Amino acid sequence: MKNTLVIDLDRCSGCDSCVAACKHENQMGLGVVRNHVSAVGPVGTFPDIEMYWLPMQCQQCENPGCIEVCPTGASYRDEETGVVLVNTEDCIGCESCLKGCPYGVRHMDPKTNTIEKCTLCYQRRNDENWEPACVHNCCCGARVFGDLDDPESAASKAVAAAGENAHYLWDPASLSPTTVYILSEKTAKWQDEPVEVTRYEKQ
Amino acid sequence: MSKTSLTRRSFVKVSALAGAAAAVGASMAGCMQDAAPEEGLAGTGDAVSSTEGLTRVRTSCHGCIQMCPAIAYMKDGVVVKLEGDPEAPVSRGSLCIKGLNQLHTMYSPRRILHPLRRAGERGENKWEVISWDEAITEAATHIKEAIDQYGNYAFFASVGGGGSYSFMEAMTLPMAFGSPTVFEPGCAQCYLPRWSMSKLFYGGDDQSIADNAVQEIFKVTDNKTEVVVIWGAQPSVSETAESGRGMAELRAAGVKTVVVDPNFSPDAVKADVWLPVRPGTDTKLLLSWFRYIFENKLYDEEFTKYWTNLPFLIDPDTKLPVKAQELFPDFQQTTPENTPAYVCFDLKTNAVAPFEYSAPADATVDPEVFWAGEFNGKQYKTAGQIYKEEAEPWTLEKTAEECWLQADKIEAAIKLYVENNGGIANGVASDMTESASQVPLGCMGLDSIMGRINKPGVTMTKKASGVFGPTGEVAAPTRPLTYNNGFDGMFSDMYGVGAVIGMSDAENEARIKELGKVMPDSQKTLNKLLQDRLGMKDHKGLYAWCHSHIPTVRNAIATGEPYKPRVWFDMSGNKLAMLGNAKSWYDVFPEVDYIIGQYPHLTSFHIEACDLVFPLREWLEEPMVNMSQLDTQWLQNECVHIGETVSHSIPAAQVVEKCRELWGGHIPGGLELGEGTAYLGSPTEAAVKQGVADTLGAPDWETLQANVDEYVPHVTPDYWKYNQHEEIADDGLPAGFGTESRKVETYCQILLKLARNGYPFCYPEPQEACEDYSPICVPIEPVESPYEGMPGYDAEYPFVLTSGRVPYFHHGTMRHAPFSRELFPCAEIRINPASAKELGIEHMDWVKVTSRRGEVHARAYLTEGVHPKTVWMERFWNPECYDASQANPTGGWRECNVNVLTKNDAPFNEVYGSYTNRGFTVKIEKSTRPENIWVEAEEFEPFMPTAEMLAEAQTKDVF
Repeated sequence: MKNTLVIDLDRCSGCDSCVAACKHENQMGLGVVRNHVSAVGPVGTFPDIEMYWLPMQCQQCENPGCIEVCPTGASYRDEETGVVLVNTEDCIGCESCLKGCPYGVRHMDPKTNTIEKCTLCYQRRNDENWEPACVHNCCCGARVFGDLDDPESAASKAVAAAGENAHYLWDPASLSPTTVYILSEKTAKWQDEPVEVTRYEKQ
Repeated sequence: MSKTSLTRRSFVKVSALAGAAAAVGASMAGCMQDAAPEEGLAGTGDAVSSTEGLTRVRTSCHGCIQMCPAIAYMKDGVVVKLEGDPEAPVSRGSLCIKGLNQLHTMYSPRRILHPLRRAGERGENKWEVISWDEAITEAATHIKEAIDQYGNYAFFASVGGGGSYSFMEAMTLPMAFGSPTVFEPGCAQCYLPRWSMSKLFYGGDDQSIADNAVQEIFKVTDNKTEVVVIWGAQPSVSETAESGRGMAELRAAGVKTVVVDPNFSPDAVKADVWLPVRPGTDTKLLLSWFRYIFENKLYDEEFTKYWTNLPFLIDPDTKLPVKAQELFPDFQQTTPENTPAYVCFDLKTNAVAPFEYSAPADATVDPEVFWAGEFNGKQYKTAGQIYKEEAEPWTLEKTAEECWLQADKIEAAIKLYVENNGGIANGVASDMTESASQVPLGCMGLDSIMGRINKPGVTMTKKASGVFGPTGEVAAPTRPLTYNNGFDGMFSDMYGVGAVIGMSDAENEARIKELGKVMPDSQKTLNKLLQDRLGMKDHKGLYAWCHSHIPTVRNAIATGEPYKPRVWFDMSGNKLAMLGNAKSWYDVFPEVDYIIGQYPHLTSFHIEACDLVFPLREWLEEPMVNMSQLDTQWLQNECVHIGETVSHSIPAAQVVEKCRELWGGHIPGGLELGEGTAYLGSPTEAAVKQGVADTLGAPDWETLQANVDEYVPHVTPDYWKYNQHEEIADDGLPAGFGTESRKVETYCQILLKLARNGYPFCYPEPQEACEDYSPICVPIEPVESPYEGMPGYDAEYPFVLTSGRVPYFHHGTMRHAPFSRELFPCAEIRINPASAKELGIEHMDWVKVTSRRGEVHARAYLTEGVHPKTVWMERFWNPECYDASQANPTGGWRECNVNVLTKNDAPFNEVYGSYTNRGFTVKIEKSTRPENIWVEAEEFEPFMPTAEMLAEAQTKDVF
C-alpha cells in the first residue's frame, strides 16, 4: 500500500488549520510539530508577483532515508499500511534520522527524547473512513488522503486529474517521496528549491 | 525579492531550521497530557475506531461570526477533540485554527469561573471572588444610585470585540434604563454601513461575504456564479472554514475572481486579477468602473432603465427625484399612493414625461438614463447623468495613478466582471474609513447597473431568511416594505417608532398614530432617546443599529457635554484593543464612576477599567443557533459547563430585574415593553435553551437534545428566491423593491431625507438636520494623505497603514490560545523589501510604528505583497503582559496594538460616523522587542490548559 497525502496547492491558503488539527489530534506540546506550512514567496516584484503555500510533513518516501540511517530500527515502515512510523520504545533520540530526511519534517520532542513525525493519524487506521485530522479539517478542501497503489482511491484520481500539475519535492538523495503536490501555473510556478519565508525570531 | 532581507534556503537548510525551532520550543512542562498519542484521549492504537469511548456531540463553532457546524467529542465530561461537521454544506467538514483551538481556550487557566470584584486599584489586576447574589446586587445598586443622582443618561452600555454575542442585548439594555447611550467598536466600523445601506438602497441583503449575507454564490447545486469580485475582504483569512472554503470550491470549479485589496491576501494570491488599491481610495476605483461601464455601454440597459431610479430627473434644488405631479399638475397617477410616479426624458417622444411605475413591458415611456436639459425654465439632470458626471474624471489612467494601480489591470478586472455572471462581495475594509457609506453605494451601484440583483449567481439577493432573522416574507405578492430600526425593523413595531419605507406618507402617519395609541409611553420615550443619542444629529445612519457615535460618547465622558455617562455595562471583549485611538479611551476611564464587564476571561479592558466582572460561558458551553449556511441553521450546543459561568444575556437581565426590585417594580424613565422592561435578553439558561429550541422548531430543549439529528440542521423552506421583483403583487403591479420608488435606488434618495430629519428612523418626532449625505459614490481622498500639498499631508509619516485579519484570531479573541500564538506569536507589519532596505530593516526585525496618535511595536514581515508606500498590520494585544510570571506587568494593550495608532477624530463618514482605522499615515523605525512580549513557543506554556481546569466539575445552571 502506498498511503500518502495529495495536496492541492491551487486550493491551499496557508491558514495553518492543518497544523492545529495535527497538534490537537496527536497531543503535541508547544514547540513540537509534525507538520508546518511554508510560505513560498511572493516571488517577483510588486505588483507582478506570485506565491503559494507548501504544507510540509513526512513525505512517505518509497526509499525512506530516515529508516536507512536509524541505528536502532525505531524508524520503520508499517507493513500493513505502508506508513513510515517511529517506534518510540526503540527510539533513543539520537537524531540521526534528521540527517537522513532532507525535508525537515521530523522533530525531536525533548520531553520524551523521541522523534515526532506525521503518522497519517495512524491511530485512526481502523476508523470506518481513515482520514487524518489535517485532511478532515482542511479549510480549503486541499488535502486528499489515500492509497496511490489503488487507482480507484480519491488520491489516485486527484493525481490523475492533475496531470502535469502534479509535483514531488526535490529529491536529491533518490528517496522517491510519494506526497503529491498539485500546483498549476495559474497560481504560481512550482519551485524545485523554493524560497521560504519564515516567522521565526531573529537570532 | 531581496536576498539580504528574506530568509532564503533550500530544503536541507529548512531541515536545520525546523530542528532548531523544535529545540527552542521544546518545553512541555505543565502540559496537560502525559500519555503518548496512541494511548491518549483521542483513541488507542488498536481500538476499533479512534473515537471509541468518546461521546459525539453536534454543535457549532463560535470562533468567528459565521459559526461553522462542528463535532465535539467528550470523555468523562471533558471535550477532548473538535472537528468540522462534514454535513455542513459550505464548510463541508472544515474547521479552522480558531475553532480547533477552543479546545485550549475552554480549559485555559485564564478562564474566570466566578464573579469577580476589583480588590486593588484599576490596573492592578487584583480581584476577589464574590457570589452571584453579591455581584448582581452590587451592579444594580451602583446603576440605581447613579440614575437617582444624575438621571437616566448616566447609564451606558457597550459590546463588541470578539466572542461578542450580545448585539440585541446591548441595544436594548440602555433602553431599559431610559438611556440612549450604547456603542460597539464594530458597528460603524464593521458591517453596519454595508448592512444598513443595502436596506436603504434596495431593501435586500447586503454584499458582505464576511457576515453570512452572501449565500447565493456558495450554492452547492445549480450554481450560476461565474465571477466574484472580492472588494476589501479576505474570506480565506477572516472566515476560513466557511466563506474561505466556499471560495476555494468556487475557484476549483473555474469561477473567476477579482480581488481589490492593498495586501496580497490568500484570496489575492489566487485571483485572476489583483488590484492592490491604495488604502482608502476605493471610491475612486469604483468610479473608474462606473465610467468604463457607462462609456462602453456595458451596463444592463433594460434593468437600469426600468428597475433603477437612474432615469429619474433630479431637482437641482432639493437633490430629490422630481415627482410627476410637480412638473405635470394634471397628471393622473394610476398607481397606489405608496408607489409614486417620477419624471424622465422619454426617447419615444423626445420630451420630458411622467414615468409611472410599471412592468418594463407596460411602460409608456422609453426613459433615457443620461440626460441633462431644461424644462419649464429650470435645468434638470437625470440621476444617471449625475452619476456619469461624477465618474467622468476617473479614466483608467488617472485612477491608476491615484490608486497606485496599473490601468491595464483595472481594465482586465472590469472586463472579467462585466463578461461573466456574478457579483461584488465585500468585507469590513471600507467600514473602517471615511468612505464607509460611499463604497457600498458604489459596489451595489455597479451590480445594479449590471442588473445583477435577485438573479441566480449574484451577490445581491433577497432570500427567504436574512442574516439576523426573517426578512423577505414581505416580498411579493404585496408591495415590499423595509423596516429599519434595529435588526429587520423589529424595534419599530415593538416600541412604536420609525417610518416604514414603501408606505405612503399617509400610511406611515396612520400607522405611527395607531402605535402611539397602543404604546404611548414607549413611543414617546424611545423617540426622545433617538433624538438625544450622542452624535445622532450628524451621523443618522447609526440609527439602524440603535448605536451612539463613539467619539461623541468619549467626548461626553470627558467633558460632561451634553450629559455625562457615568456607569458603564460592557458586554464583551477587550475595548482597549478594539476602540480606535485606545489611549484616548484609557484617559477617560477615571471619569467613569463604575464599570461592569463580562467575558470568559480577563482582558486588558477588564484589568485597566472594570470594577466588577461577570464570568461568561465559552462557546462550547453556551446554547445558541448558528448564523446559517445556505438554507440551513445549526445548533451551538451546551457540550459542557464548568464553574459559575452564564450565557451572555443573563447578567444584564438579572441586573435589570434587581434594579426593578430596588425601585419597587418600575425603573423610572426606563422603557417598558408590555409587562417587562425593554431589555431583550433571556434571564435564565432555561429561557436561553427554550429560545434555541423554538428557533430550530423543537418543542423544548430536552426534546431537541434527545433528537438532535431530527432538528439539526433546520432548513428554511423556499429559501432561494429569484426575480421576485417581477412577480405581480396584489395591486396588479410587479412587486418591485422595498424602497420609496419601488425600484433599486442606485441614486440613494432616502439618504437625503435621512440627513434632513432622520427619516425613516427618527419618526414621528424628527432629528435636527445636518449637511446632506451623498446619494451616490463620490471620490474621497484619505484625510492623512501621502500626497504633498494635500491638507492632511505630513512628511514625518511617509507610509500609509492599513490592516486586516490573520487566520489565527477573530477580533480580540484567541490571544491566549497557545497554539495560535505559537504560530503567530506577535504583531507583524508587512513592509515592502525595497522600503525596508532604505530604513535598514531586515525580515523579522522589531520596528516601532508611529502615527499622530501614538506608537507601537511589531516585527517586520518583508514581502513584495504590499506597495512600497503601504504597510499592513493586524491588530494585536498581549495577555502575557499581565501573566503572573511578569516582573513588571502591564495591561498588554499599549505594546503592539494597532488601535493605539488609529484615528478617532474627524473627518468621519458622513452617514455612519465611522472613523479612520485604515488608510492613515505612519513612520517606521528599527526598534527592539518590548518588555513582556512573548514570541518563543515555550513562553506560551502558562496559557496551556491546566490539570485543574480539566478537572473542573460539570456544574448546573446558575440561573
